[in-house]
Amino acid sequence: MLRLDKLTKQYGKFTALDGLSLEIADGQLHGFVGPNGAGKTTTMRIISTLLQPTSGTAEIDGVDVVRSGSKARKLIGYMPDFFGVYDSLKCWEYLDFYGRCYRLSAGERKQMADQLLDLVQLTEKRDAYVDSLSRGMKQRLCLARSLIHDPKLLILDEPASGMDPRARAEMKGILKTLRDMGKTVMISSHILPELSEMCDSLTILDHGHLVFSGSVEELSEKMNGNAPLDIRLQAGCGEETVERAVACLKELPFIREILQEETTLLRARLEGGEAETQQILRELVSRNIPVCDFHRAPMNLEKVFMEVTVDA
Amino acid sequence: MLNPILSFSATRRMRSGKTLVILGAWLAVMLGTALLMMGRLLGPEVTVNGLRSGTNCYIVLMIVQFFLIVLISPAMTSGTVAGERERQTLELLLVTNTRSLRIVWGKAMDSFGMLCLLLVCGAPVMFLPAVAGAVTPLQVLEGELFLLVTAFAAVCVGMLASAVARTSMAGGILAYLFVFGIAVVTSLPLFLDYPQAVTDIVYDPRALAQLSPGAATAMIFPVLFLNPGYGLIALLHGQTRFLSSALQYQQTGRLLCSFNLMDRAGGERIALISSGAVLLLGLALLFLSAAFVRRRGFGGKRKG
Ligand SMILES: Nc1ncnc2c1ncn2[C@@H]1O[C@H](COP(=O)(O)OP(=O)(O)OP(=O)(O)O)[C@@H](O)[C@H]1O
Ligand SMILES: [Mg+2]
Repeated sequence: MLRLDKLTKQYGKFTALDGLSLEIADGQLHGFVGPNGAGKTTTMRIISTLLQPTSGTAEIDGVDVVRSGSKARKLIGYMPDFFGVYDSLKCWEYLDFYGRCYRLSAGERKQMADQLLDLVQLTEKRDAYVDSLSRGMKQRLCLARSLIHDPKLLILDEPASGMDPRARAEMKGILKTLRDMGKTVMISSHILPELSEMCDSLTILDHGHLVFSGSVEELSEKMNGNAPLDIRLQAGCGEETVERAVACLKELPFIREILQEETTLLRARLEGGEAETQQILRELVSRNIPVCDFHRAPMNLEKVFMEVTVDA
Repeated sequence: MLNPILSFSATRRMRSGKTLVILGAWLAVMLGTALLMMGRLLGPEVTVNGLRSGTNCYIVLMIVQFFLIVLISPAMTSGTVAGERERQTLELLLVTNTRSLRIVWGKAMDSFGMLCLLLVCGAPVMFLPAVAGAVTPLQVLEGELFLLVTAFAAVCVGMLASAVARTSMAGGILAYLFVFGIAVVTSLPLFLDYPQAVTDIVYDPRALAQLSPGAATAMIFPVLFLNPGYGLIALLHGQTRFLSSALQYQQTGRLLCSFNLMDRAGGERIALISSGAVLLLGLALLFLSAAFVRRRGFGGKRKG
């Protein structure tokens, strides 16, 4: 559906986006995560034809967004992170207006507007003036607006920012409905756990670089493979025993790093999976080191996000 | 299908109370001017002095409307695209498949429509001098058409400023700078020396009297046609001999050179050519504006 190839954007000398390559399959709900300034908005604006990339290409169903802008616009529904609304315009007129900008017929517009107001639960606000809506309602109306021409691909830039928890939950519901309707959705957020709950696949971006792209399962697998190993020795076992344990660990080739978190708590980072973990335990026990607790700390996504964006 | 930008801007304009205020103010100025100029005409008899004041009333009404248009339309238009940029609604429009030219055209037509409304509502006042017999209704129509063209061009100037600027404020300032710039540049020829071959004819009353209208037209500096002010003077001169006393062929001077040529060429002809040129300039500015709509714009703080 969407294919980015070595997408680069420079603002003067500053590189906001550095060779981003990415593919999103049809019908996926794709999360786009990164800290402030990662380049999420920049990427989304390029895909939505609002910004020219410095180099690289973005294609939607084979349509190049730079060369065939107007063709691409028909395929995309874009909801920006910040946007304004017109005053002196009613909700249904607002949708009708954008419908006309997409050159829909009067019948199509009426039908779509009613359906969409229902989808975003604003039916009773149909005749209210747009600027009298609350922020969350405006965001929902803007989402409806981005759907008015029935696009295949939806680009949503932090659609849930400024929404209360209940509205966020409702937004999730709406997004799932959209996926069930067969739309491909690309949604950006700072909050990885929130996205991973509902997304099929994820991209993590930091300082314009791709950190990770793949399914949510792949991400947690990859991250748990990196989870540190916590080894707690018997309390009061003496400094000499701890030193022996450290020496023993250092001999193993797949240990990358050893930290002494507390007097008797060692944290080791290793490359490898279960076989290596077993070997460590075997070595320690065979040398009579009093191990009381031995486990790999499971990573939660909050931690993953922190780790991933620091390492890059 | 009607341009959606136009119909929705117009809807919103009609809903705002400002429109009525502007319309009221416009009519008040028109009626006030007419009363002031034609007080004498209200008397029971038609006198030569009465006719004179009728003609003067027509001239003053034309000039007042001309300046109002030139002053109002840039302000009216300069906020359109720049304002949407400022309020962050422009992007929502740019992601639809509405072409830039369609956006610019819709916005320009909305402002132009408002000016048309003002001119149409003021038309009954304009016809007062015609009712009094001072000018013919056809002449009033010509005058109105000339003002329409001026309004269109002024809107286009405001449009360009708006397409280039990031905020309404910057757009407004830029629009007046553009108007001022165009006025200065197109007035320069009035103060330039004409070639010797031209002055030889213009300063010689007999040679000037034999000059054909076509030849006289060809001698005028072409840039001058882009000045709607010159067009207005030419039109009024053609219709009412406005400024005739200043056009003494034997006198010299650069300014008079242009006026004398205008007199020979025929004021109405000059006004027509000038209107055409101004119309084309306006269209060119609109196309130019369209090219700027998708850029970020400058002046004012960057947002988002
Ligand atoms: N018009 C611009 N001119 C110069 N630099 C810019 C411009 N727009 C964005 N940047 C820079 O590009 C980088 C990426 O910005 P972008 O808005 O894409 O980040 P983001 O991931 O959307 O961040 P956030 O989570 O805060 O929305 C930032 O460092 C920003 O300062
Ligand atoms: Mg952003």
